[in-house]
Amino acid sequence: MLIHQDMKMAEVIHLNHHLLHVINRFGIQLGYGEKTVSQLCQAHDIPLSFFLEIVNTFHDPSYFPIENMLQFKASLLINYLHQTHRYYLDFRIPEIANYIKRLSDDKAFSEDIKGLLQHFFNQYTSELTTHINKEEQRVYPYVLELERFLSSEHSDQALIQRLKAYSIHEYEEDHDDVEAKLFDLKNILIKYIPEPTDSRILNLILHELFELERDLNNHAHIEDLILVPIVDKMEQAFHARTVSS
Amino acid sequence: MLIIEPSFIVREGVKTLFSQMGLAYRVDEVETLRDNLPRLIEKFNPQLLLVNQEQLFRQWAGNRSSAGFSGLIIAGICYGEMASHHGAHVDFSLNIHSPKPVIMQQMQEMLQKSGLAGTANESESISERETEVLRFVALGLTNNEISEKLYISVHTVMTHRKNITRKLGIKTVSGLTVYAILNKIVEAGELKGSSRE
Ligand SMILES: [Fe+2]
Ligand SMILES: [Fe+2]
Repeated sequence: MLIHQDMKMAEVIHLNHHLLHVINRFGIQLGYGEKTVSQLCQAHDIPLSFFLEIVNTFHDPSYFPIENMLQFKASLLINYLHQTHRYYLDFRIPEIANYIKRLSDDKAFSEDIKGLLQHFFNQYTSELTTHINKEEQRVYPYVLELERFLSSEHSDQALIQRLKAYSIHEYEEDHDDVEAKLFDLKNILIKYIPEPTDSRILNLILHELFELERDLNNHAHIEDLILVPIVDKMEQAFHARTVSS
Repeated sequence: MLIIEPSFIVREGVKTLFSQMGLAYRVDEVETLRDNLPRLIEKFNPQLLLVNQEQLFRQWAGNRSSAGFSGLIIAGICYGEMASHHGAHVDFSLNIHSPKPVIMQQMQEMLQKSGLAGTANESESISERETEVLRFVALGLTNNEISEKLYISVHTVMTHRKNITRKLGIKTVSGLTVYAILNKIVEAGELKGSSRE
């Protein structure tokens, strides 16, 4: 079942509580009362169709309406993607790191194993952070600048040269590496650590890892299948305009 | 298992039927053969590939054994009768108009032939040779270095590595290193310095 505009937001959460964090990213917080999706979007000045597509792709990964989503402005997507990055780095990763720290007081494992897991998770975190920083510092600013250029009349030569020097295709889709480490960490915990005397903290960590994986997959899909084609079209428009000028 | 098929409804149908036989393996889905086939195979490393037969013939003229996936079982998904010469590249042709018992029978055979059904448990532990390769991977050796040490070709090293990853469900060098330490294939002390990824 897909989420539609006349549903109450409270019903949306009853249908799929994994959406709580996604909805927060739009600036909508709890305490929905009886308000519907469309009422809350209006109150928060969020384009309704954008909200619905994002929430539905997250709710049902097999629903991925590329055609509908190519209509959106790049800045709208980037704003959402940026909020998602903040959520990973400021909330989800520190949360998992906390659990891993709690493991160190746990007598259920040997010191060696704790050290190994800690080290592996640190490696993962630094890879993810590097990936996100590259997007935040390089890719997104470029796209936003391109969008500003296309929506105005001005023809600042320095800006044109700067935009010409980069292309979205240089943005190698290296989502595979980040995904692979997370996949490994899950399997190591599920299959290969020596049987602990108590699994409760590990269960919590695994739960977090599954949630993070689901979220990251959706995020990478939006970047690869929506953002890149949109920017590709913008670049074509940019070249058409700068060639004729 | 990897399914390459543009029709959502057909993909869902295939998955549903497989799940009725007890689906206990990973299923990846791709809509089209836009990326080239060898790359997709490398990425997902499936034991069984179900691929839209028409796309397969249109997009891919390669040779199975030279493309390095001769061990893979390939089933074509076709929307009608296929000309017989088209059947040469595939192990099975799944006609979507066939009745359920026929399709289920074919799927059962696919699962058995690809090793996804039946003897899964025994085949999952890594062999002695694979353990040797894994040890060198954990120590940070390149494929070339491993091939020299073990007197085997680089191609064989890569095959071993693929099998290790498939059996263990671990893809990265650092993940394999953790596995090797946990299973005492290497000692943490041996890894000091540059060998960590
Ligand atoms: Fe991102
Ligand atoms: Fe990304």
